[in-house]
Amino acid sequence: MRRAKLSASDISKSFSMPGEDIFLQALEKIDFEIQEGEFVSILGPSGCGKSTFLNILAGFEDVDCGNVVCCGESIKGPSPERAVVFQSPVLFPWLDVKENIMYGLKQVGKRKADAEQLASEYLKAVGLEDFGNYYPSQLSGGMQQRVSLVRSLILDPKVLLMDEPFAALDAQTRYSMQQLLLQLWESNRQTILFITHDVEEALLLSDRICIMSRRPGSIIEEISVPFERPRTITLAGSEDFSILKSRILSKLLT
Amino acid sequence: MYKNIEKLEVAGFIFPLTLFTVWYVATMEGVVPAYLLPSPWDLVRTAIDFAIVSEDLTPYSGTLFVHSIASVGRVVTGFGLAAAIGLPLGFLSGRIALAKSSLDPTVHLIRIVPGIGWLPLAMVWFGVGESTTLFLISLAAFFPIYVNAAQGASSVSPMLVRAGRMLGANELRIFTTVIIPAAMPSTVAGLRLGLGLSWAYLVLGELTGVTHGLGAVMMDARMLGNVEMILVSMIFIGLFGRISDLLLLGSFRRLNLLKRGYEE
Repeated sequence: MRRAKLSASDISKSFSMPGEDIFLQALEKIDFEIQEGEFVSILGPSGCGKSTFLNILAGFEDVDCGNVVCCGESIKGPSPERAVVFQSPVLFPWLDVKENIMYGLKQVGKRKADAEQLASEYLKAVGLEDFGNYYPSQLSGGMQQRVSLVRSLILDPKVLLMDEPFAALDAQTRYSMQQLLLQLWESNRQTILFITHDVEEALLLSDRICIMSRRPGSIIEEISVPFERPRTITLAGSEDFSILKSRILSKLLT
Repeated sequence: MYKNIEKLEVAGFIFPLTLFTVWYVATMEGVVPAYLLPSPWDLVRTAIDFAIVSEDLTPYSGTLFVHSIASVGRVVTGFGLAAAIGLPLGFLSGRIALAKSSLDPTVHLIRIVPGIGWLPLAMVWFGVGESTTLFLISLAAFFPIYVNAAQGASSVSPMLVRAGRMLGANELRIFTTVIIPAAMPSTVAGLRLGLGLSWAYLVLGELTGVTHGLGAVMMDARMLGNVEMILVSMIFIGLFGRISDLLLLGSFRRLNLLKRGYEE
């Protein structure tokens, strides 16, 4: 049996409302595991706590109870082992594209020459080789998000956490980003946890989908996605895809 | 669009040109006597004579360099001191609650007293001249530097901090590579305000009695009844103030620290 890369057992999380004694239960008793090389999506309605769940895995927030373990060690805070791609790019506006990408490598003590080499390779892989000297404000939203993806991917994280990374993009750009992510995943089989509210996106990208309930969020169903890889965006037109999609939708809407 | 911009630029010249014409006519016709307001032409001659001895018009011929060096030196020292204390304290109080609660109330209490109000006390403490001037400059420049650095540091987007942390930066690196650069637009605004005040308080300090400096020239010229020299000193102070502001702004632009980038 393969060992889980990242696992959460029986975690709960509540927030206190400011100035009141009411607690908002965000997550309730979540059990979750992701194996090496697996692409798992967490799918749920907005406000169900899926971003809170990701923030806990990333180490940005603590749990009230339960355990979160990454590669045998319990999570104490953010780490490049669990690099995140946020919904907005969150690049450093005072650094150019290349410096943004090399930021993490610098923090983990990579030699500058190696970092530059690596940055060039990754920039090429996402089609931004000519934009290394541009500043984030000079790029389109889609390009910024590609930079954001690359700066996390380049750290070769044990698990890449993606928090609705394409939700803020226009449809056209979203398709091309999904296509790009599929390609990248084919080549490196990165372990990815992907948060989304988009059923088609989850089906297209993942090996397994965990459906979350409304607040308080818990995982109510897990669905393996049987489609063969390598996948392309045209998969969304197939009949099997539609059947699975309506099954998931009916589950989400109950 | 383009035409409009040109029109606006033209409009910018109308007021000063009118003012200049009125000034020129008034002094030429003798409506205003020269001991109150010299003619533009006299002023230019005096300025040139002040910068490079050409006609030996005043006791100050050719002394611009000596006086400017003295004044610029004081501004650099006083402003530098204010920045050296104000920036770190500001950044700390912007990020650390304990630093804020221990510093902020006192700083704001002291800030209420206008800088000029410190003059008598400063003269008692430091005597007239050099030290008093430096003290006044540093004190006045400190507040906007501190307040804006704190404001900048406290309003850094938490997402940027998260991004830095998940990319592996420790607390110290977050401070130096995320907080400080992200706080720069506000911090530089504070530095510019502080620099402007430095020039203002330089003049105040120098008026109280130093041997060299543009403020000293002004005060001296007043006693000699030399209005040209007062005005010329004022012009050079304005000029140096503007140049120092541009230098400050330019150096931060070069470091690329004023980029605001996309909206969060």
